Amino acid sequence: MFKSYHNILLSSVIAAAMTTTVVAGDTGGTRTYANGKNVIDGGATYPVKNGRTAAYFVNETVHKSTFNKGRIPTEKEVAAWNIDVMPDGTGLPEGEGSVEDGDELYEEKCASCHFDFGTGGAGYPALQKGNAYEGQKSLTNQRHSPDDDGPVRVFGTYWPRASTLWWYIKTGMPHPAPMSLSDDEVYALVAYIISINELTIDGQELEDEYVLNREKLLKLVMPNKDGFVPNIDGPDGLENTRAYFNDFSHYGNGTRCMTNCFEGEPKLARISGSGISDYEPPISTKRELPPKKEGADTPGKTAYETSCAVCHATDAMGAPEVGNKKAWHAVLKKGIENVYHHAIDGINGMPPRGGTSLPDNEIKQIVDYMVKISK
Amino acid sequence: MNKRPILSKEKIPLSDAAMKPERRDFFRKTAVYSVSALTAATIMAPVKIDAEAHQEKKGDPAILEEKKWGTSFGYPVTHNLYGQPSPYEYHNTRRNTKLLSSGNYYASIAMSPIHESMGIITPNGLFFSRSHGGTAEIDPNEHRLMIHGMMEKPIVLTMDELKRYPNVSRIHFIECPANGGPEWRGPQFPSIQFAKGMMSCAEWTGVYIKDILKDLGLKKEAKWMLAEGVDNSHMGRTIPIDKVLDDAMIVWGQNGEALRPEQGYPIRLLVPGWEGNLCVKWLGRLEFAAEPFYAKEETAKYTALKPSGKAIQHFYANEVNSVITSPCPDKPWRSLKKGEIVEIEGLAWSGMGTIEGVDISFDGGKNWVEASLKGLVLPKAWTRFSLIYTYEGKPLLLSSRARDDAGHIQPTVKHEREVMGVESVYHRNGIFTWEVTEKGEVNNVQVLS
Repeated sequence: MFKSYHNILLSSVIAAAMTTTVVAGDTGGTRTYANGKNVIDGGATYPVKNGRTAAYFVNETVHKSTFNKGRIPTEKEVAAWNIDVMPDGTGLPEGEGSVEDGDELYEEKCASCHFDFGTGGAGYPALQKGNAYEGQKSLTNQRHSPDDDGPVRVFGTYWPRASTLWWYIKTGMPHPAPMSLSDDEVYALVAYIISINELTIDGQELEDEYVLNREKLLKLVMPNKDGFVPNIDGPDGLENTRAYFNDFSHYGNGTRCMTNCFEGEPKLARISGSGISDYEPPISTKRELPPKKEGADTPGKTAYETSCAVCHATDAMGAPEVGNKKAWHAVLKKGIENVYHHAIDGINGMPPRGGTSLPDNEIKQIVDYMVKISK
Repeated sequence: MNKRPILSKEKIPLSDAAMKPERRDFFRKTAVYSVSALTAATIMAPVKIDAEAHQEKKGDPAILEEKKWGTSFGYPVTHNLYGQPSPYEYHNTRRNTKLLSSGNYYASIAMSPIHESMGIITPNGLFFSRSHGGTAEIDPNEHRLMIHGMMEKPIVLTMDELKRYPNVSRIHFIECPANGGPEWRGPQFPSIQFAKGMMSCAEWTGVYIKDILKDLGLKKEAKWMLAEGVDNSHMGRTIPIDKVLDDAMIVWGQNGEALRPEQGYPIRLLVPGWEGNLCVKWLGRLEFAAEPFYAKEETAKYTALKPSGKAIQHFYANEVNSVITSPCPDKPWRSLKKGEIVEIEGLAWSGMGTIEGVDISFDGGKNWVEASLKGLVLPKAWTRFSLIYTYEGKPLLLSSRARDDAGHIQPTVKHEREVMGVESVYHRNGIFTWEVTEKGEVNNVQVLS
């Protein structure tokens, strides 16, 4: 087993928490890991104690053992699957593409969903909403009423890193055929999208003839680079995250008031009109059979299968076997009316109505079905 | 046959019923016995009225008339070798709305009918379903899990090899952080299935990632893990190492059978309590690195914009939350009679811990009483709460407020809006309120006091 910082953390997480802040109640939860640090999401963790975590029993030998499954992948295998692209350029291949080429490709492969110039619509996201540096300033907008301008959250105004766009297009677009674009095609599309967001690289606007490559893309500083909290980057990323979520005021926490919690009558907000109610299928809690699909059921077939096939599917019970021409030829010699009568009143070993309580017309339908498939 | 009136007030001792040789009679009388016991324990009036109505009609046709299922064969055991629900349950199904799809139903969501849910386990066919490029149907023989990056020994596993690790089973909910997200500016959905149905709860079976990592010599610098799917969307998300070494799992089992394709068959990541989107489906790759990855679904989406203009990123845990499931708009109290005693029931959950308690208000949150928890109470799992209530036919504003063992309490809608504004889309957990009208209709409202 390899010794590392994580192994130490791991074993201490598993060991009974010694110096932890135990949370309220007897759930077995604690707000700190055994290393003394707060749980990263501001919640609780459940160390194994006396062979249990919360209500679950644990085979502790599992956590003390190593299992050595699988095999080491080849370099080629890792390269084939290692498709992510990080902000520092890790995973971003060399290549190039011009805004002009991107425009052409966009028309061909993207505009059918994202519309001309990336304006979006019909549920498909917009890729730009004008100058991104201006748009970024809209992020403090709040739409309290339908007439208010909202925050613009498109690539140029909102996304903190340009690497995400390259990665997204390469592995997720075009939506019906991901992984189908060459690296140069991706560079061209990224160049086009940067240009329609009116972003600059090294102070330069991206005109039609601008050729984007790896080096230039890594220089693109997004307007909303610092628009996100907590700061997850660098050596303090995890600790920033931990501190942020352990301060509940960042995302709100209630109080357990029990009486007279506000003044006067409650102020209510209601659904306007009928709200959103185009549900597929419509809501119903009735217990009923689904509507019959037209033509799905030959008359008599289902009833035959549930009530008659048990005797008539083979000749083992002495009943005329359905599908046996000869047997049914003999039966029909009596005339169809007599066959109906025998089915309803019973004959030989057959009980009246085959032991069912079906009405005459349905029994006749079954007989017709049996005759039909035995001809 | 001597047919007794079924809803008699007279108690019939069990021994009397048991002495009768006829089976049908036995069941009838047992039913009479329990109805009487219930009547005595609760109230007489409504049941008596029903009994009189049936007397006039000489009884209930459901009892008096012979039924085809009692007078003929059912289907043989060879029918439906994989069992199906009763055809009469066909309305109990996932549902969609065009509004919540990104242009098509491949990048969309199907809501779970939580008003029909019983206990804390969602049946696999009703588990909410979210995908970003359709539901992949993966051949498990052609699927691998690769674990690589900052470690001494990267590995690749076949599905058979993965399942040879010792497994654990845990009950956890999965919730899309956008559950309730369309209602930041006010109520929108006259339905609980759409207002809160982007979640479900199951027993998952798989392996803790920490049990795999012990063999691999993870480097000290490895602080983040990318989890990536192999489906159309190649969904990636970044998980901090603390969660990986705590309770993150790779799961292949869902309620005792293989994951459904909609849940990522053959394997998905499970990060208990955290955003459903982080529980990457059709999982193919885990990569460890010193810096976060900035995947598309953690920048463009799944970030919560606050009024300051800054957005919370890596907003992992679904906060403490609750909703009353009975009554609700989909299952109102229309048929309740005044004086009838009824159970107010609901679901509480927290991605940050274990539910510690739930309070219920009848006046929109001005005054509260404590409900009972019932059934299993487990970390990061659906938890049932219950309050017995005498229905008076008066209008109510029914609210629920849950709290967890890590100290989180559901905020009022007012408080939540003060902190988060109305543009954050994700992580809405403000107190949920149903308006119950005099007629027992149930409306989705928000209390802004």
